[in-house]
Amino acid sequence: MEIKVASVDSVIIYFDNNISKEISNKVKASYAYLKSLNNEAFIDIIPSYSSILITYELLKYDFESIKKYLEEELKNVKVDDDTNSKLVEIDVYYGEEVGFDLQRVASINKLTIEEVINLHSSKVYDVYTIGFLPGFAYLGVLDEKIATKRLETPRKKIPKGSVSIADTQTAVYPKDSPGGWNIIGKTTFEFFDKNLEALSQIDINTKIKFNQISKEEFLKQGGII
Amino acid sequence: MKGFELIKAGIYTTIQDKGRFSFMHLGVTNSGFMDEYAANACNKLLDNSLDTNLLEILFPSLQIKVTQSSTIAITGAKCEFFINGEQKNIWETHFVRVGDEIKVSRILEGQRVYLGVKGGFQIEKEFGSYATSQKEGFGGLNGQKLVNNDILPYEENSTFIKRRWKEKYIPQYKKELTLRVILSYQCDTFEQDQIDKFFNSEYTITPDFNSMACKLDGEAIECTISNLISEAIAFGSIQIPKDGKPIILLKERQTIGGYPKIGSVLSLDCFKLAQMKPGNKIRFEKIEVNEAREKVLKFIEAFS
Repeated sequence: MEIKVASVDSVIIYFDNNISKEISNKVKASYAYLKSLNNEAFIDIIPSYSSILITYELLKYDFESIKKYLEEELKNVKVDDDTNSKLVEIDVYYGEEVGFDLQRVASINKLTIEEVINLHSSKVYDVYTIGFLPGFAYLGVLDEKIATKRLETPRKKIPKGSVSIADTQTAVYPKDSPGGWNIIGKTTFEFFDKNLEALSQIDINTKIKFNQISKEEFLKQGGII
Repeated sequence: MKGFELIKAGIYTTIQDKGRFSFMHLGVTNSGFMDEYAANACNKLLDNSLDTNLLEILFPSLQIKVTQSSTIAITGAKCEFFINGEQKNIWETHFVRVGDEIKVSRILEGQRVYLGVKGGFQIEKEFGSYATSQKEGFGGLNGQKLVNNDILPYEENSTFIKRRWKEKYIPQYKKELTLRVILSYQCDTFEQDQIDKFFNSEYTITPDFNSMACKLDGEAIECTISNLISEAIAFGSIQIPKDGKPIILLKERQTIGGYPKIGSVLSLDCFKLAQMKPGNKIRFEKIEVNEAREKVLKFIEAFS
């Protein structure tokens, strides 16, 4: 672990320099612990794949003192496996009308569309981090057999709810947005909802499983083709 | 509901405050006043707390009908400002009565104008803040910039205190600016000659400059790492994308990103940057984190 200056009033804690489930669990446990301190001098705590950034009150700490404080506190973090996480199941319509890249992803990986869908919907994914857009959760890791590079030229508009993959990650676009991920399906599940007190049903401790549904079911749920 | 009736909302007028905090882990940006010096000064003149909401006006042509008496103040960019057709000074308080007409017509120097009213506008906070964030549709009125005929209510206030910001504390907005940089984040992965180049070059602000970020043009900086595991981005961070042209990330930045960062611009200098325009020149100089902290503490103290 290394704590470095990020800006005049923020530090970044690096747990390692690679992406793995083990590091991610360390980040999650540390994030939960830091939140539980209820330290009023913490303005924002932002976890990512292998790091956590903390913005803090300058009146309370300088870089040396917060570094020391964090080093001491983080010794208390116990990393356990995923026992505390909740599973959220998300219905997806994997149809070519909404999964613009489904056929291409299948061809590139020498699979049938049905195999792509099965591989995508049979795994339980961890949330590695949330960012880029409000509610954009980076989920991993995909079965290597369907890992697909992102598009050379990003699309100007990807519809809200589009289920996508890029390299070994998968995600759902929480709103209409430009983007370069491969689109393989669509969901009506809201990843970001202003009407919720917590803003989202998803956080970094959530686990996600995608369920294949029919076009009829998707339309019944209010899905838009 | 009485207060301001926006006859003309201007091209880009938003309601801002100090920003929205503690939702960044869900990808929600901070937003908030781009120039906290001018915004704080406006609130100080009005005897408001520093997180009182204000109008942040970019490209004016703003015309307001007053339907409730109160005290107002304008700070920030030097602009043409009229009450009932009579030109008035900015950086001081003015009393406005029912039926008065306020106009902010042209920016002469700087970029962002702050217009505040005593006690602030009585609108709803969204997730802890009034700050408008168009990306999320949060804050302000309906999460969007203001439009013609919007109504901004505030409480009536009949006591008027004339206040003027001291002349020597009114900033001059020039076309060149040196930004103080704390070497941080991935600075160790930049070769010394690239860091030297960064500090010895002059950069130009491109039109790609908004509340999210300011893209610069000039000497390209090389980094030994091409991409990076995505991580959170602090206010003022300078990222070096593949083309080597620095991008300074500002209030409405995206919360995480995967470009290497050479350091971060001192917050106080980001506020000055907020008053610059495309075509203006930027240079960088180094500042140590502890010295930077002292400067910010002085700034906080000056407004307390």
